[in-house]
Amino acid sequence: MKRGLAAMAAIVCGAAVLSGCSSLGVKPWQRDVLSRQDMLLNAKSIDDAIDDHVYFSKEASSGGRSFAGGGCGCN
Amino acid sequence: MQLKPDAASVRRRLIAASCTLLTASAARGQEISKLLTEVENTDWHLDSALAYYHEDGRVMAIEPLVNLSREYSDGETLGLNFTFDSLSGSSPNGALPSRAAQTFAGPSAKSLSSARRLYTTDPGQLPADPHYSDQRVALGADWQLPLDRLTRANLGGKLSYEDDFLSASLNASIERDFNQKNTTLSFGVNDENDLLHPIGGAPLPGSDYLLFEKSGHKSKNGVGALLGATQVMNRRWLTELNLSVDRFTGYLNDPYKIISVIDGSGATNGYVYESRPDERSRRSAYLENRVGWDQASAALSLRYMTDDWGVHSETAQLRTRLWFGHKSHYLEPTLRWYRQTAAEFYRPWISSSAGQSTSYASSDARLGAFRALTYGIKYGMQLDQRTGRTGSEFSIRAEYYQQTADSRVGGPGALQGLDLYPALKAVLVQLGFSY
Repeated sequence: MKRGLAAMAAIVCGAAVLSGCSSLGVKPWQRDVLSRQDMLLNAKSIDDAIDDHVYFSKEASSGGRSFAGGGCGCN
Repeated sequence: MQLKPDAASVRRRLIAASCTLLTASAARGQEISKLLTEVENTDWHLDSALAYYHEDGRVMAIEPLVNLSREYSDGETLGLNFTFDSLSGSSPNGALPSRAAQTFAGPSAKSLSSARRLYTTDPGQLPADPHYSDQRVALGADWQLPLDRLTRANLGGKLSYEDDFLSASLNASIERDFNQKNTTLSFGVNDENDLLHPIGGAPLPGSDYLLFEKSGHKSKNGVGALLGATQVMNRRWLTELNLSVDRFTGYLNDPYKIISVIDGSGATNGYVYESRPDERSRRSAYLENRVGWDQASAALSLRYMTDDWGVHSETAQLRTRLWFGHKSHYLEPTLRWYRQTAAEFYRPWISSSAGQSTSYASSDARLGAFRALTYGIKYGMQLDQRTGRTGSEFSIRAEYYQQTADSRVGGPGALQGLDLYPALKAVLVQLGFSY
């Protein structure tokens, strides 16, 4: 039940984001904060790479932010 | 990231551009402008780290990483990364603690009597191979190519090598901006092929440990797809939603993991190698929100994952960056919470008297039910003014990770009172340098 709700919440959030796209967003000259390095969603951070490798080798789940798998025989 | 080339290079190119400017016709002005743009964008950016990882009473690892990236004037970007891992220490072999001492052979053994290396675990202790050692080298490359003003293609590959494991993966994705670049949709696929050549051979799943039924190489293959959407909500807030699926097939066992066979009195009667299904399909939903203020930013990510082995997991992570001194320094505290349920075939031991089916069984604690907490802090110092390059930084990071087992089933008879589910505690210390 709880898992179903979590999945449902994710889908609803996603649908809300996509359906509201036209009324959301900023003009090109309003991207001062969004262009900062600490606001880049797809930054291939070396910290994330190290953390993902530790969690991949110690837990049964991996991926989500990017492709799963670790190219490692440790799990 | 825009980078500044060295002064001599700039001077040479500017002189050349100036000469050209003086002699060229007006029609060539556009070409000169292109050259100047190229001058600004042709340097490599270095991102490097040295990580030290230590588990309490188990393994330790040292891991240097180097990422190089370069942005070209036509918008293409190339990323290259190199990783080296060196691990050593004690690695749990999957057997339970016992009231009696337990003796095991190293993985290269063909029989217990002829083994070159034996190790003995004291009564009450978790059996672990004390001579575990492994080195890994990984190389990766990513290339992003603009297809038009709003569409980009990404191609990537990774090669990872260990003494007993070789992995090669390729990925490709396409992404397109909409709504004045406030919305981005992406779709990607990934293919991974792994070759396992365990030390001493790959054991026959479920076979008796003492029979040493092992054979050469094994393989596994994984394919995955990821659908992503990012949306700028307002000037300070953006969000990302990823939905992904993947499927792995082949030899999915850990070739070094065994399971204790326990009788009704709690005594260990023997061991068998673990046996996992040869297919696994996973699905996940990942949601991340980033919010930025003038002197701070926060990233909250949530992930739900489920697979057909019966593992369900939830992850929540909050990372906050606090800037100081006109953004010349920052502190970044991190908190991560994780919980997973056990795989359907997870068994801490196999009961010989109850006649349990051993079709699929694994005592690997990573497939058991547990929760984990990570606390971390990072300090970063911007070096842009000292190096003259944008994005230069020195950082130091420390994290503490602890796993605690859920759903602890007590052992029969003599196993009562023994710690069958010891917590995993680990620290990570990392030095970082970007230039």
